[in-house]
Amino acid sequence: MKADRPRQIGARVQRFEDIRLLSGTARYIDDIRLPGMLNLTFVRAEMAHARILGIDSSALAELGYPTWLFTGKDTAGLSMKAHQDVPEMQYSEQPLLAGDRVRFVGEPVAVVLAEDAYKAEDAAETVLVDYDPLPVVGTMAQGRDNSLPPLFDGWTGNVIIERQMKGGDLDVARAAAAHTIRRTYRTQRQAGVPMEGRGVVARYDPADRTLTVWSSTQMPHLVRTYIAEELGLPESRIRVVAPDVGGGFGVKGQVYADEVLIAWLAMKTGRPVKWVEDRREHLIASIHARDHEHTLEAYVSADGMLLGLKADITVDNGAYSTYPFTSAGEPGMVGKVLPGPYRLPAYEATYRAVATNKCPIGTYRGVARPSAVFSQERLMDDIAAELKMDPFEFRLRNIVREFPYKNVLGFTYDAGSYAQSLEKMRDLLAPDIAEAAASKASTTKRIGVGFACFNEQTAHGTPDFTRRRVPIETGYIAARVTMAPDGEVTVDLGLQNHGQGLETTMAQVAADALGIDPAQVYVRHGDTLTTPYSVGTWGSRGGALGGGAVHLASMRIAEKLRAIAAHLLQARPDEIELAGGRAALRGNPGNSIEIRKLARMALRNVEQLPEGMIPGLEAEFSLDGPGDGTYSNAVHAAVVEIDIATGKTKLRRFVVVEDCGTMLNPLVVDGQVRGGVVQGIGSAMFEHFIYDAECQPLTTSFADYLMPLAPEIPDIEVHHIETPTPLTPLGAKGLGEGGAIGPAAAVANAVANALGVGVTSTPLTTNAVWKLCKHLREAG
Amino acid sequence: MSMTDIALEVNGRKKTIAVEPRRLLADVLRQEFGLSGVHIGCAHGVCGCCTVHLDGAPRLSCLTFAVQCDGASVTTVEALGGPTAQHPLQQAFRSEHGLQCGYCTPGFLMALLPFVDEMVARRHRPDDAEIREAMSGNICRCTGYHGIVAAVRKAIDASLAKGA
Repeated sequence: MKADRPRQIGARVQRFEDIRLLSGTARYIDDIRLPGMLNLTFVRAEMAHARILGIDSSALAELGYPTWLFTGKDTAGLSMKAHQDVPEMQYSEQPLLAGDRVRFVGEPVAVVLAEDAYKAEDAAETVLVDYDPLPVVGTMAQGRDNSLPPLFDGWTGNVIIERQMKGGDLDVARAAAAHTIRRTYRTQRQAGVPMEGRGVVARYDPADRTLTVWSSTQMPHLVRTYIAEELGLPESRIRVVAPDVGGGFGVKGQVYADEVLIAWLAMKTGRPVKWVEDRREHLIASIHARDHEHTLEAYVSADGMLLGLKADITVDNGAYSTYPFTSAGEPGMVGKVLPGPYRLPAYEATYRAVATNKCPIGTYRGVARPSAVFSQERLMDDIAAELKMDPFEFRLRNIVREFPYKNVLGFTYDAGSYAQSLEKMRDLLAPDIAEAAASKASTTKRIGVGFACFNEQTAHGTPDFTRRRVPIETGYIAARVTMAPDGEVTVDLGLQNHGQGLETTMAQVAADALGIDPAQVYVRHGDTLTTPYSVGTWGSRGGALGGGAVHLASMRIAEKLRAIAAHLLQARPDEIELAGGRAALRGNPGNSIEIRKLARMALRNVEQLPEGMIPGLEAEFSLDGPGDGTYSNAVHAAVVEIDIATGKTKLRRFVVVEDCGTMLNPLVVDGQVRGGVVQGIGSAMFEHFIYDAECQPLTTSFADYLMPLAPEIPDIEVHHIETPTPLTPLGAKGLGEGGAIGPAAAVANAVANALGVGVTSTPLTTNAVWKLCKHLREAG
Repeated sequence: MSMTDIALEVNGRKKTIAVEPRRLLADVLRQEFGLSGVHIGCAHGVCGCCTVHLDGAPRLSCLTFAVQCDGASVTTVEALGGPTAQHPLQQAFRSEHGLQCGYCTPGFLMALLPFVDEMVARRHRPDDAEIREAMSGNICRCTGYHGIVAAVRKAIDASLAKGA
């Protein structure tokens, strides 16, 4: 209802959840301890590809304390099934514990349980697995080589899926092109790596057949459904709780084999079972992400108009398909988003995932888009260079300007600020561009400016998942809002909060609709017992859809409060305004009643309600996303300073111009953007999971897997343009992932600009940049 | 495994406990003392999540055996500003949005508190590079460090202004 002026939405409200997080009183998965609990340690595969000949657990009996051992024989028949329902896909299942074969280093082979975590680890070390090694499939090229034996019986080769997307007529584009620019771009294997790893605790109560599973997850309802279906339990008797979760970034937006396994073990042993991942396990066996190769061929007219784009996309998927986004998710996303924010008349993409003997690929903030935008925006700079055009000018000539815009694949872009963002960024960078140009005279130190322009499909709804035929199936978020007799409000939210500030932003949304203070709104989440079924927190849908659901549910309560107030004040409901804790006659604020008194009437003094009104102040709303989602947009820019002798690359400046529609809380928006950007800088410059030729992981600690530290990072400048979308109730678009999408492209373009070379891959480590400086060292 | 008796003063509370020599200080604080604000992020001494104060100085409790601390005084985040996080540095983290998921936060607070105190004692207003260097032993995956830098600057400025 437009009549209610926003008062809290858009305010920089300090976060309510901070108090427990700052004081050390938050409760994460490792803080859950139950009487009689057993601690679990995994015995994990030490070889990337091998037959299991036998498991010798005879030493357990000599330890002098009780242990429990389970192997793949015990869990035979139980598995993770992540199938995209298309004929081109070769299906595989990941057993909860390996059967007769392991397919990546770190794959769970057995579990040992003991009454103390140290003892469980000791005991697991005594279990010996006899392996017969098999040849590994270790690279994309090997994955596409059908002469190598397949990873799964019954498969033909190791290409899991290969499909096409197309729109327009590429032959026409090719025939009309004055320039054809072909490049291959690569982005490395990385992961979200939250500071808290994963962990699961499960307890089964046979008396009432209830199973409780605590998991550090972003999607408790989906965990519940999978466990129910796989273990054949009534879902009504399963409760999944995500306690405080120490970061997710997509790594915890999957259902894992261990979640099902530990639930099963709690039933099997009759004891609560707990597993908390250690960092080595996290780095080798929770999901990885990215690992792409894209070959792009662009067809461009003599005057710099994009005529067509052909893309060939390969993702190194690792050993298994992950649930619920599947092996097709990552390459399919690249195919879907490569047209980007540009007018592109013709497009054709072939995308594939190949199986290798590495950790499975899953989602990580941005989901394929950091790689897609890296390729797209490196290509735009490479085309501009070939045409001797200014990179801003080239993009502005091709940028989408009219909205809604139906792109070459049929996706509709809602309102955005694409050209405006580019123009604003060009102004912000003017002094750096001048300085970079001046540095070109030097062969010892170079300044470079690079930027990346992108749009991002966010908060996509059920039709998007139906089209993809992935097991996630749907995209809605639900919220239930309840006002108690004292006027205080509870929001039970289907989202799960793991750093996004949802306990604050959702309170702001409810408070605005109800005319009360956000501090009066208690937001609960992450517990299937109290929250309505939802898909969880991922895909940049929290603010847009969670906020929308809270708003619409709250408005239903507001409507009832207005009806009660109108009855008491002898007015029409549409004359009542809720604000400042009071329901007042519009234009006559003296004529009012406290909202908490209305709440008491609605629930206790019901005799004062209008005749026929049903008591109660509770409303629930499930909000699906728009069919094509709502498109956020941004331009990211990096200014780098490169020492030619050493390759040392300093980030002097990083600037963001972003448009996520209505901002619910700018403090939180800035935090999400900056945090995402620094993860993206990690992708651009530091982070890389490396495997050797036998598929042994070489990056198994934080001493090898390097994430950005504070001294390497400049202040991230954030500028906002707000173009509300008509597609969500509050005009909000998705925001959580965008920060991570642009930096790899922006930094790479800055390095290319500084050195006058093409950059085709990340990470741009000091060593990688040093190699790119060779021509300048030789010239100097 | 044999047990060793050690005396610890943790957040002002003295307690003698029997521990295995291999037991990490972090585990003892979390389990024997119930201090779940001590977080383990890597357990190999890189991320700083588990930082506590041992006799007043920051220490990685994941790289410290509890038996090494016999007779020592340990302070954890729980003692900083109580259950409502009243310490000025905690309040500055909140106002400057220096935390998101909160998992690394106790480690950052314990690592940065002596830096803040030292800057105030020296009446020195550090620049951004100095503040960033002071937190270079801690990893935050959520904030991009921006809000943490702002919080440290705010806490130092507030103390300097008060003392002026």
